[in-house]
Amino acid sequence: MSISKFPLPDVGEGLTEAEIVSWLVAPGDMVKVNQTICEIETAKSVVELPCPFEGEVQELLVQVGDTVEVGTPIISVSTQGASPIPVVEDKAPPAAAQEADTGAEYKIPTLVGYGDAGDVKSRRSRAVKAAPTSTAVPVAMVAAAAGAADSIIAKPPIRKMAKELGVNLANLAGTGTRGEITREDVIGAASQASVFKNLTTPDVPSEREERIPVKGMRKAIATAMVSSAFTAPHVSIFVDVDATRTMEYVKRLKASVDFAGVKVTPLLIMAKAIIWAARRNRMVNSTWTDTEIIVHNFVNLGIAAATPRGLIVPNIKDADAMNMIELATAIEKLAAVARDGKTAPEEMKDGTITITNIGVFGVDTGTPILNPGEVGIVALGSIRKKPWVVDDEIVVRQVTTIGATFDHRVVDGDVASRFVQDVASVIEEPALLLD
Amino acid sequence: MLQLLAPDGTYGVPKGYEKYGKLIEDLDEDTLKTFYRDMARIRRFDIEAIALQRQGQLGLWVPAIGQEGAQIGSGYAVGKNDHMFPSYREHGVALTHGVELMSILKMMRGVNHGGWNPEETRFHLYAIVLATQVLHAVGYAMGVKLDGKVGTGNPEEDLAVISYMGDGATAEGDVSESLLFAAVNESPIVFFIQNNQWAISAHIDSQTKAPLYTRGEGFGVPGMRIDGNDVLACYAATKLHMDQARAGQGPFLLEALTYRIGAHTTSDDPSKYREDAEVEKWKAKDPIVRFETFLRRQGVGDDFFDEVTEAGDQLAKDIREQTFALQNPPMENIFNHVYSDQHPEIDKQRAWLEAYEAQMGDHE
Amino acid sequence: MSNYKEMPIAKALNAGLSQAMSANDKVLMFGEDVAELGGVFRVTEGLLDEFGDKRIFNTPIAESGIVGTAIGLAMRGYRPVVEIQFDGFVFPAFNQITTQLARLTYRSEGFLEMPVVIRIPYGGGIGAVEHHSESPEAYFAHTPGLRIVTPSNPNDAYWMMQQAIECPDPVIMLEPKRRYWQKGPVNLDTPPLPLHSARLMREGTQVTLIAYGPMVTAALQAAEIGAEEGVSIEVIDIRSLSPIDYPTIMASVKKTSRAVIVHEAPTNVSISSEIAARISNEAFYNLEAPVIRVGGFDTPYPPAKLEEIYLPDADRILEAIDRSLAY
Repeated sequence: MSISKFPLPDVGEGLTEAEIVSWLVAPGDMVKVNQTICEIETAKSVVELPCPFEGEVQELLVQVGDTVEVGTPIISVSTQGASPIPVVEDKAPPAAAQEADTGAEYKIPTLVGYGDAGDVKSRRSRAVKAAPTSTAVPVAMVAAAAGAADSIIAKPPIRKMAKELGVNLANLAGTGTRGEITREDVIGAASQASVFKNLTTPDVPSEREERIPVKGMRKAIATAMVSSAFTAPHVSIFVDVDATRTMEYVKRLKASVDFAGVKVTPLLIMAKAIIWAARRNRMVNSTWTDTEIIVHNFVNLGIAAATPRGLIVPNIKDADAMNMIELATAIEKLAAVARDGKTAPEEMKDGTITITNIGVFGVDTGTPILNPGEVGIVALGSIRKKPWVVDDEIVVRQVTTIGATFDHRVVDGDVASRFVQDVASVIEEPALLLD
Repeated sequence: MLQLLAPDGTYGVPKGYEKYGKLIEDLDEDTLKTFYRDMARIRRFDIEAIALQRQGQLGLWVPAIGQEGAQIGSGYAVGKNDHMFPSYREHGVALTHGVELMSILKMMRGVNHGGWNPEETRFHLYAIVLATQVLHAVGYAMGVKLDGKVGTGNPEEDLAVISYMGDGATAEGDVSESLLFAAVNESPIVFFIQNNQWAISAHIDSQTKAPLYTRGEGFGVPGMRIDGNDVLACYAATKLHMDQARAGQGPFLLEALTYRIGAHTTSDDPSKYREDAEVEKWKAKDPIVRFETFLRRQGVGDDFFDEVTEAGDQLAKDIREQTFALQNPPMENIFNHVYSDQHPEIDKQRAWLEAYEAQMGDHE
Repeated sequence: MSNYKEMPIAKALNAGLSQAMSANDKVLMFGEDVAELGGVFRVTEGLLDEFGDKRIFNTPIAESGIVGTAIGLAMRGYRPVVEIQFDGFVFPAFNQITTQLARLTYRSEGFLEMPVVIRIPYGGGIGAVEHHSESPEAYFAHTPGLRIVTPSNPNDAYWMMQQAIECPDPVIMLEPKRRYWQKGPVNLDTPPLPLHSARLMREGTQVTLIAYGPMVTAALQAAEIGAEEGVSIEVIDIRSLSPIDYPTIMASVKKTSRAVIVHEAPTNVSISSEIAARISNEAFYNLEAPVIRVGGFDTPYPPAKLEEIYLPDADRILEAIDRSLAY
């Protein structure tokens, strides 16, 4: 014996509700299958409802005059065996609406079927959150992957921006999740490029010559350069490295929740690489005086920053004590402050090793001049797609040249080479930083 | 109008219709009992189906109540190789040719668009767009003629087609084109119009100026009216004219005058457009009641009729149980059989939906 | 050594039909004036003599009846090929084509196959009166269950006719009537491509020009002129409008980064609308310019005296290509 409930059916008129007009049975009555038990009113016509089961009426769950939603149980009958009709149990009978509120919109009867199912009331839950890089999402779901290897991948607004800013997309390595060139990539290239790349050819001046007095910042830079160049014996070495995994790493960090709001660029990885390599090759992180070589057990990492007034090298104090996020934040801040011309003199003192990022100028490598007081400087060049050999096959990889200049009074060839090799190893395999 | 069995159950062959009467005299008592049993069965099925719709188990039901005489009679007259092209209310004809009644229910429930095998049963799928099936029937008959299966005299070979339609459908252009093609091709086909006098809310008088049995005359298709509530007249007329069509005498049109006792469908309310008095008048001409009277006069007793009633209730119970047990069709059915040959867009979309559904929670 | 024969499209269609009817005696050909007259464009000329009046015959002028009875014949095991005499007269058959022919396999869950071919001469450029120059392909391409193909040259006409007849699904074969008398070589031995494959007509590097049916000739003309002007245009004849060979299109667009699509039909809600949407979906990152469509204006087909201005031609195509290259 069980209690079976009959939910108000949709009698095919696009019904969402109906009014109970009359009951033809009462609790205690025995009812048979298909016996008419009540009349309901739908869109001004009265329909008789036949009972789906046989048994004794327990309760009339709605009253004459009630307006009832489709699916609401209207009668309970005790039956042999379970009800053949599933009832959604938490659909409670409505509070007795004494004024039969048929204010619901008049629904046009549908001659031909179940009628209007009504709108989706709420979103279905997503069992699996589709993360854009998740491999659980089938290929069919995700938009087609980036196109052929030799075409530039950038969304139309980015192309437009690049055109306006005079950035050549072919020179950029995209850091977007699908390898596309992002807005940041373009802006990053542009902010330097628009300052450091000639966009126009000016007219020939009318005077035969122009004389510019040597003073101020220009004089200071000249003095420092001469002092450095003609005091320290400069030697430069270069190594080409496959930076593809660094680029992938940058992409992943960018997509990571922990790095939200933090600017992640290849420069960050380079900085970390240099810090690590400096620990392993301590001599490059030192200062020459005529009487002693001071080896620093901390790294104040200088980052050459081009400003409208000239080149300056502010440094990040104790960069070796910073984690990735702190370092990224510090680099971003340093660049912003320098662009605004607000770098304080203290920031430019006591650097121990420097990075110069010439890649943003679209330049592959160079022979940088040492920052006075330091014995090593590393040039980060452009990262470009180039042919590379992997497992005896030529494939397209993102390749960069790491160039470094050293003071040969302190750093001999073997130390220099090992240092540069260490930096290159990290660029090739950033996981080494886990050491 | 050919009538062999009057509403009061009296049998008589009117003058001039002897060839029809002869076909009835050839029937034995078992066959007659079968007519009765099937009329009663299909009515019981119909009533159950209406109840199931009112209980939310079907989106729609199309009752054929009142038309059992025309459907069982004509159904049994169809030859063993003949093909039948119904519209959407010929449940009685379906019964006579072994179409599973649950198949019809499944279609109305929305499990499929008509899931039985038309070749096997020779009863083609229901056609919802009015009159489209009449052209298909004519095309089929043209094919039969091209195959040479007309008028060979060999009952194993010869074949005719019966094309069912309602009174309302005769207005559609496809019916006119069908009569035309059938006539100029001398196709082996009988057009069977069940004139139940109501096309939803439009009475037949508003749908035609000339009686429907004359509809074919302009095209060269002769016709005849028969009492659609007289199972014997329907049997005899259908048999005679199907035999003639099979023999190569060309198309013929039968108008079976009957009445739609119920509504057009379960969403229709006939009280809005017709009088109860008219319905009562036609209830008095009920095909099953008159046939019971006739059989009782032949000596068939209570035990037969009780057995039929009981069998009907059992059928209803089976239908009810099977209906409640029906499962929703699998998702792939959306994509299956759109084409017979492989199709890249269908494959893509099927794969997409599978992936999408796999990551969503359940439908509420 | 392949056996080639030079012939116009109308003859190639005729030869293809003849081959198909010889290969399978269930293939029928019927429609208005197709028997003794051989069709108003002579595409069925000679077939009555070859196959007799049980295989090829005239029908009354009743397009719905033509398609509806073809359906019944297909149910009976035949492979009917029917002709709708002109594109503008297909509409009385629209009901039978879209609600029945396209759906019977689906409705019957595979019990019924519908191997029916509907041949329709289509397109303008012949100076005709109203309703004889239509391009109704979009209505049918939008209908699931149908296949739509359109040969642009005699070789494709010869082979696609036979492939369409062999196909178990309903195929609408749109024949570019202004090109009926254009001659070309037909390889009588080897079919060129599967029925629904697109063909690369001419290689290029700067822009992909997508065309079908009567506009393929115009597209090739535009590419020729373009080459003289120093623009390298890749031309694709898509050949099939449902399904469309997207892999071929996408490979080309990803190579050139620009796409222009041309057809006679009015542009609004047309075949090119769909292709443009797909290209934007699948080749988004490769596009250097938006997809540009060249089509008829969104008006009924104009009177013959205005036809030349209305129809796209090499100049209209090149104007669109210039616009694309300017991005």
